[in-house]
Order: sequence, then C-alpha cells, then structure tokens
Amino acid sequence: MSQIFDHLSIGFDVAFSWMNLLVAALGAFLGTLVGVLPGLGPINGVAMLIPIAYALNLPPETALILLAAVYVGAEYGGRISAILINVPGEASAIMTTLDGYPLARKGLSNVALSLSGWSAFCGSLVATIGVIVLAPLLARWALAFGPAEYFVLIVFAFCCLTSLLGNQPVKGTLSAMLGLAIATVGVDANSGVYRYTFDSVHLFDGIDFVVVVIALFAIAELLELLESTIRGESPEVPPNERKLFNLQELLYTKWTVLRSSILGFFIGVLPGAGASVASAVAYSNEKRYQEGRDPNSCFGEGDLRGVTAPEAASTASAVGSFVPMLTLGVPGSGTTAVMMGALTLYNITPGPVLFDTKPELVWGLVASLLIANVLLFLMNIPMVRVFSKVLSLPNWLLVPGILCISYIGVYAINAGTFDLTMAAFLGLIGYLLRKGGVPMAPMVLGVVLGDMMEQNLRRALSITNGELHILWDSPIAMGLWIVSLAIVIIPPILRRRSKNKLSATALAALEGEE
Amino acid sequence: MSDRTLGFCALIFAGLMAWFGHDLQAPFSYEPVGPRAFPMLIALIIALCGIWLMAKHWHDRRKGEPIDWPRLLLMVVYIFGYALLFETLGFIIATAIVTVLIGRLFGGGWGKMIIGGVVMGVLFFLLFDRALDVVLPLGPLEFLS
Repeated sequence: MSQIFDHLSIGFDVAFSWMNLLVAALGAFLGTLVGVLPGLGPINGVAMLIPIAYALNLPPETALILLAAVYVGAEYGGRISAILINVPGEASAIMTTLDGYPLARKGLSNVALSLSGWSAFCGSLVATIGVIVLAPLLARWALAFGPAEYFVLIVFAFCCLTSLLGNQPVKGTLSAMLGLAIATVGVDANSGVYRYTFDSVHLFDGIDFVVVVIALFAIAELLELLESTIRGESPEVPPNERKLFNLQELLYTKWTVLRSSILGFFIGVLPGAGASVASAVAYSNEKRYQEGRDPNSCFGEGDLRGVTAPEAASTASAVGSFVPMLTLGVPGSGTTAVMMGALTLYNITPGPVLFDTKPELVWGLVASLLIANVLLFLMNIPMVRVFSKVLSLPNWLLVPGILCISYIGVYAINAGTFDLTMAAFLGLIGYLLRKGGVPMAPMVLGVVLGDMMEQNLRRALSITNGELHILWDSPIAMGLWIVSLAIVIIPPILRRRSKNKLSATALAALEGEE
Repeated sequence: MSDRTLGFCALIFAGLMAWFGHDLQAPFSYEPVGPRAFPMLIALIIALCGIWLMAKHWHDRRKGEPIDWPRLLLMVVYIFGYALLFETLGFIIATAIVTVLIGRLFGGGWGKMIIGGVVMGVLFFLLFDRALDVVLPLGPLEFLS
C-alpha cells in the first residue's frame, strides 16, 4: 500500500512541474478539438503531434504526457458532435449517437453533454486506479517472459486486434503482415544484411515510423475527405431548459457508469482491443441488462444510460490501454501503438523494465492522466459550445492545414525531400487499401512490433538451435497460444449466433479507426 | 477496390517480396535463423491472404466502393508536388500555392484561398520556425533569414 503512495508521489512530482501541467492542458484542449471533428480521431491527432513533439526537443515524459492528454481528450471530444449533430466525432462515439442525438432532439442536449462528460471522467478515474493497482503486478509477472513468450504475446496482440476490430479477419491479417513487411526494410540488426533497401541510402535505416504513421493517418485521411461532405454543418439544437444534469439523473446512472467503466478498463487492457470495441460492448451489455429489468428503459430513443455507458467505457479503455503498453511493451490499441513508436524515437523501449529504469516516466504519465482528466472535465462542461464551433470550420481550410502540419512533422525528422515523397506514396497506398476495406490499425501495430517480433523469434530459436518446440513449451506460451486461438475462433461463432443485431452491426461498422 | 483486385495485388506484392528477398543471406552467421526466414514467412502469409481473397470472391461481380478518379488524381498530384517542391520553393511559397490549389478542390473561392494560403504559409512559418524552433526551408526567400 505504501508502495502505491511512493509511486504516486514520484508521479505527481513530475506531473506538477509547470511545463508538464501546461502541456497536459494544451494536449487536452487540442485532443478535444480533434475529437470533435468527424473523421479525425485520437490516432490522427497523436500521429500529427509526434514529430512536432520530437522536433521541439520535449523530454520523453513530457512528450508522452502531451500525447496521452490528446488521446483521452479526443475520447471526450467525440461525444460532442455525436450528441449535437448525430455524427460521431470518432469511432468510439458511434454508440453515443444512438441515444445522444434523440436526447438532443428532446431539448436535453446540455444534460446529455454534461452527464456524458461526467461519465467519461468517472470512467477514466476508475481506469487510472486500475492502472495504479494492476500495472506493477503485471510488470513483475512480465519479467519472467523469455523471447519465446514475447513472440507468442505479440501473436496474441495481433489476434486480438484482427478478430475484434473487423468483420473481415483476413484483411486484418493482411494489414498486420504488410506492417511487418514495412518493418523488415533496412539493415538487419543481427547479421548486418541490407534488406529491401534497393541500394538507396535513405532506406538503410528502414522506413521511419513517423513517415508511416503520417502517411496512413493524415494523408490517407485527407484523400478520404475528398468524398465526404460532413463538415460545414452548424449544429441546430432545440433550446435547452437546463444547463447541467441534476442529482437525480446522476444517481439514476451511477451503476451504469461504474459497470461500464470497469468493463471498459478490462477491454482496454487486452492488447489490441481499443475504445471502439469497449464502447460497443458496454452499450449492448447495458441495453440487454436494463431491458430485462426496467420497463421504462428506452434505449435508442434517448435513454440517459445509453449515453453514459459508452462514454464511461471508451475513456476507461483509453486509459486501460496504457497498461499493456507500459508493462508488456505491447500496445493496447492503435493509438497506444503510435505512442509506443514515439517512445522508440527517444530510444526508450517500453516493457516491464521501464518500471525500474524510468519510474518518473511511468508514474508521471499516470499522474498526468489524472490531471488531464480533471482539466478535461472542467473544460468540457462550460466550453462545449466553443468546441462545437470547430464543426463549422470548412474543409477548404482544414485539409491544407492538416497536410501542412503533417509535412512540417515529417520534414522535421530528417530534413529531406525523400521522407516527404515516401509519406505521399504510402499515403496513397494506404488510401487504396482502405478503399478495399483493409483496416489500418493492425498495420501500425505491425510496423511498431515487427522488429521486436522477429528478434524474439530468432533469439528463441537460437536457444534451441532451430527447434520449434520452444515456442510452445512453457506454460505461459502455451496458455497464450490457447487464448489467441480462442479469440480468433469464438467471435465469428458468436457473431453468427447473435440475435442481438445491434452489437453485430456496431462491430461491423467499426473500421480501423481506433 | 474490389476484394478480387485486392487479393491479386496481395499476391503480386508477396511475389515481389519473395523475389527480392530470396538471396538475403548473411556472409557468416552464428544463429540458426538468418535474415531471410522472417520476410519469407510474411510473404507466405500475405500470399495465402491474397489467394483466400481471390478464391472467395472469384465470382463476385460487385465493384468496390466507387472512387472519384479525376479529383483523386489531382489531389495526389498536389500531395506529391508539395513533397517535391517543399525544399526547392521553400516552405512559405510551396504552402501558399498548395493551399490555394487544394482549397479550390474542396470548394473554396479564389479570393478566400489566396488570402488563406498566404496567411497559412507565413503564420505556420512564424509559429514553427521562429517560435518553436522547428527548422523549415526558406527556398528563394533565404534572404529573409
């Protein structure tokens, strides 16, 4: 117990430096703006900020705090456009539209906005407590992992992501493999052999992670915006009687919030499964539970619990997804995968050792998450109208702006034309793949984990001199294989059987956004 | 892109990966698994995905999502052009031109876009290069530095 307080005091020492406080507030604000914009989610915001944070020479913990605040901020922001104009600001807010918009039509938009902000706050609070308790335990356990276990763990992460995110696991697998293929470019660390460099000096170090992320999540996104005409709508909402939710509504939804927060946290902890899965599961779970017990429930027509459940779950899972990233070095969502890539820019490899070698980074991040959430909660209730103004920003200004910031970021890494052209090229490929229904998140995970996966596989096989049995000999490895297999096999069966059409369509609707 | 085309492209990619990777060998090595095995394994899985996609959708006559080719091609030209001219023309000029062109593509008026482009170029330059110390190329405007 006293250890927990030691950890927290390290964390708050870091988080309360004026620089980190400022960065957390800025991140929370920017994140909410990105979250409000339909089409741009946390992963896009984080992707655009990484190179800039790096170019500004921010120390690693400050950079990570900035990115984490943007991540959680975007989860807060997504609900604003979901409730006001029935367009989810990002993938995990899809479920919020179902009850949020009907509530706004009833003239309760302020109640829905403030109550969902409150549930998002509770979700992240519960999840932060979860991180503080669970992360050190998991890290200690992970110290026992050898190369074979790590290899299987990464396989497990891929299985989670490809089977939970899409209705087409083959395309998810294809995407992950393409990511791994990108990661093989460059000099091989073990033998010094140049792989797929085609004698180009620029490729000797491999394709920079930042280039890939900007290409897939900024440039491909812009190409996709060519055909969408969502933006430019200004929200039209019937007049509101009340500014804030009242105590009765708070008590009415308290168990929903708690249940969904805990559920969201554990879904977030699973490697690979992110906020969109969490909010979908929490919503359909709550709906099924309440409809059996409460004759007055009106899910889909403006039930307050239909807004609180997905919002609590999505922020809880966003915070929870830091657990596998920090403890195992395997990210819990697409966005944390991008952040892990950011840490490698600083030559920091996340993993169980991080808790001993860089406690200020880990606990500073945890404390900053808490602070960012308080700031977000305070910002979100009075400033909702300010944030929703972003929705009237026209595409003809937004698109060149995003392109410009992305290019500044890519240019800042190596100061060269080659990286920019590479980003443009990969962006085009990414766009075409998206058009073919290939999700992008597994690809990022592949790029981030490719090197680690190959190194661990080769190290494991070196131990046994090439015998494959080491990959399933230990109980941990065997257990992970079994769980991976279960995760691949069970969801399609459930999906076929499921009579609950809502959760099936919701899962199908979730693209590789997360 | 239809699933059949996607599968075909995956097969081609796997083929290229195997072709360019088949002679990856370390001159001397201490480990049982060399630099070639992992890329070959990936190529194999990509090929399997490709075959599955093609076989499953062979008789599928549905087209993929429609793509607005003329606008897409223009946008692609702008994105590549911006990348190639970023250093030569310098950040401010390249950004102003590309902002105007892309803004036109997204329905902004000429007047608004010209003002927007110049403002964006200068503003971002001042913000990033001068205030935040992220060095950006000036190109022909080098004399300003």
